[in-house]
Amino acid sequence: MVVQPGEVTRDVGGPGAYAGTAAGAPIRQTSLWRDAWYRYIRNRAAVLAGVVFLVVLAYCLVWPAVSPYDPYKVDFSQARQNPSLDHPLGTDRFGRDMLTRTALGGRVSIGIGFAATIVILVIGVAYGAISGFIGGILDNGMMRFLDALYGLPYLPFAIITLAIIGDINFWSMTVALAIASWFTTARIVRGQVITLKENDYIRATRAIGARWYRILLRHILPNTLGVLIIAVFLELPAVVLGEAFLSFIGLGISPPEASWGAMAQEGREVYRTSPHLIVIPSVAIAVLVLCANFVADGLRDALDPRTRET
Amino acid sequence: MALLDVRDLKTHFFTREGVVHAVDGVSFSVDRGRTLGIVGESGCGKSVTALSIMGLIPKPPAKIVAGEVVFDGRDLTKLGERQLESVRGREIAMIFQDPMTSLNPTLTIGTQITETIKRHFDLSNERARKRAVELLEEVRIPNAASRLDDYPHRYSGGMRQRVMIAIALSCNPMLLIADEPTTALDVTVQAQVLDLLDELRESHDMAMILITHDMGVVAETADEVIVMYAGQVVEQAPVLELFDHPEHPYTEALLGALPQIEGERIREARLTAIPGRPPDLVSPPPACRFAPRCPHAGGDSCTETMPELRELRSGHWVRSAHPTSERAGRPVGASA
Amino acid sequence: MADTLLSVRDLHKHFPVKSGMLIARTVGEVKAVDGVTFDVETGKTLGLVGESGSGKSTTGYCILQLLKPTSGSVRFMGKELTELGREELRQTRREMQIVFQDPYSSLDPRMTVGNIVGEPLAVHGIGSRRDRTSRVRELLDVVGFNPDFTNRYPHEFSGGQRQRIGIARALALAPRLIVCDEPVSALDVSIQAQILNLLKDLQRDFQLTYLFIAHDLAVVRTMSDVIAVMNQGKIVELGPAEQVYTKPQHEYTKALLSAVPIPDPRKMRERKVERRRLRHALASEL
Repeated sequence: MVVQPGEVTRDVGGPGAYAGTAAGAPIRQTSLWRDAWYRYIRNRAAVLAGVVFLVVLAYCLVWPAVSPYDPYKVDFSQARQNPSLDHPLGTDRFGRDMLTRTALGGRVSIGIGFAATIVILVIGVAYGAISGFIGGILDNGMMRFLDALYGLPYLPFAIITLAIIGDINFWSMTVALAIASWFTTARIVRGQVITLKENDYIRATRAIGARWYRILLRHILPNTLGVLIIAVFLELPAVVLGEAFLSFIGLGISPPEASWGAMAQEGREVYRTSPHLIVIPSVAIAVLVLCANFVADGLRDALDPRTRET
Repeated sequence: MALLDVRDLKTHFFTREGVVHAVDGVSFSVDRGRTLGIVGESGCGKSVTALSIMGLIPKPPAKIVAGEVVFDGRDLTKLGERQLESVRGREIAMIFQDPMTSLNPTLTIGTQITETIKRHFDLSNERARKRAVELLEEVRIPNAASRLDDYPHRYSGGMRQRVMIAIALSCNPMLLIADEPTTALDVTVQAQVLDLLDELRESHDMAMILITHDMGVVAETADEVIVMYAGQVVEQAPVLELFDHPEHPYTEALLGALPQIEGERIREARLTAIPGRPPDLVSPPPACRFAPRCPHAGGDSCTETMPELRELRSGHWVRSAHPTSERAGRPVGASA
Repeated sequence: MADTLLSVRDLHKHFPVKSGMLIARTVGEVKAVDGVTFDVETGKTLGLVGESGSGKSTTGYCILQLLKPTSGSVRFMGKELTELGREELRQTRREMQIVFQDPYSSLDPRMTVGNIVGEPLAVHGIGSRRDRTSRVRELLDVVGFNPDFTNRYPHEFSGGQRQRIGIARALALAPRLIVCDEPVSALDVSIQAQILNLLKDLQRDFQLTYLFIAHDLAVVRTMSDVIAVMNQGKIVELGPAEQVYTKPQHEYTKALLSAVPIPDPRKMRERKVERRRLRHALASEL
């Protein structure tokens, strides 16, 4: 740093000292997020998984719009074809192009995945943050309640919720899956909040007389962002798998709409003669789940606050 | 002949931001039975120097790019990992700053000591156990025999550091490297541990390298002192000589910056602070590394050429163009 | 000048020791602070010195009501802090601030330097946004931190610089009392001297009163008018700094003082020989 002319160094190390020395200059200029990014891109598996994940996402979003085939149009003359140049992934028993159907199914599967994940985050953050922040008896009670919910098996819980709602559609499935699986996120958030609460900057904020909601909203929640991003990629595959399972046992989106689980269920009946009809949606689910898990692992290594310093 | 002879050691870290010249041409030697103190502030390269000697630097990103570490006639930088393993612990032992994380919490103290003994000696379980009790008694752990089967959490910080010392001594090493061994301890415990280290060095006829940031600890324990700054040795002298006649402006300033415990008008006086902070070791100042903070810097001799480490008096080396004795009667800072 | 700003009487803080898996039961108590009494005069520094676990930081937190004392009285500017209501306490916090030990965990990593230093002003609704911005620059200038870096994040700075940010935040509300909780023990010697000088300058310029908590006896000596030596939750010796250091009365203070390493090899060697002699004498007696 250059010494600015005209600025006077009043005293060594005392007020004004920054003007005469390089002492005031930042020692590093990377942001926390950029550091995390560099750590992430060093992890080859995570980068590859992230790219595949984005490609799958883009394919699901874009392909149905540009595809030459209508994913809903039934044409029995084209039924159950094996993969060919015209239909790279073949056709289903109604003669619909599988490449287009799979993209459509992906929209629903991933859509429910993200929607449910958002609901999970909202419930989980609220529950976990309140429990961890207030602490004491309330925390104890809320955690015991969570323990009790943990005891319930995940899918039956979702099935019962669906039955109570009655109607099966995109939103009811989102709600059913979210309600059955927000517990882990709540726990993670609570743990993080309790750790953050012990930081001196939280004490400092209390010492200046900040009210509790300011401490929670300005200081604690922003610092849980890292674990929340990881939580998204942990919850997403779980929800996608849950949706697939529900659809597979016939509690999913009804035709002519599709999800990967519903497609696999349709393919199950003809798996001897046209195995691609069950293999393709299954592989799609597997790829998505695997990628999300690798991304979550990569993010955890990149965002772990313990490795952030140094 | 010296037991350990470090010659022009350079350890660099290859990072995204660039090459960090953590240790940049460090030379010194340690004689049998003597204590060398290496003193400096965080980031000056004192710990990396120790880890380089032990072959324990993390590779990558670190690498010894030049220099020799001659110990008992062998250049350790040329040894393979297997050969180094037989030197580490057996001939050179090391203890670290944090006694809380140096011990495995899931194993008893006894197991952790006997493990080390049996790695280097062919002893029966019973003999190893007996030796462990002897070692604990030697580091003055009361009721050693009954405390052998305790887990580390039953030991206080000071006691754990004693256990680490016992483990370090278990193979009768010729050299003990202690990296900030008392920094995590309270002052009263610190005094005990330093006394213990000193007496053990004597009775085991070991050499010791004591790495610390604390001038007081150096004054108490070392025979010979090296002052490090920004990856280099800036001053080396016998302990009395160093404290009586500090030559390097940095050493002088460091002594002046220390709050005093005895003296007049301490409350009213200001401390002699060193302006600024140590340089970034990716692109250190091209010439004298202390020049930007030095009250005596001036002229080409400070900003154009790197001062060499030169012997000002017998045994007193300094790397500065303006050592105290060559500045006519302008003492700066409170030389003790 | 001899008016008392802070007066602590028979302060206790006991932490319950809990045990049990599902339903925690209190099985005992740790008396972290066990009957502490002292006064601090306006514009002076009381140095609270002790080893780890002596209860000195807990005492500081209890005074600031960051921890609720088990019993005892804390009178500050004529008010009994332990009896204040929430809103009154909030207002009183403007007059008493804290500087922490760890310059890394004491600043919110997701806030800019400017927002950190300006937060106390925002919390108490002092000034417009523009007033606050200029006040923040002023504060940073006072503590020797370049105000041009207000939009940077704390992790970009060295420990000493971060500690200056923490001090600027403590000064923002122009408090009368600052509790300094080991403010320099995480810093290197050369930086430590800069921060200690800064704290001395600020005390002189703003008539601040300090409760200076530290384990380093030399650091406490250089800062304090009155010294309280704490051990196991109790103050074992209290007196003018000069007296405590030159004529210590309590055995614990003596032991503490004789264990401090000082940068004087001759004296250290004398002490070492003396300690060795004492131990051998003790061993032969047994």
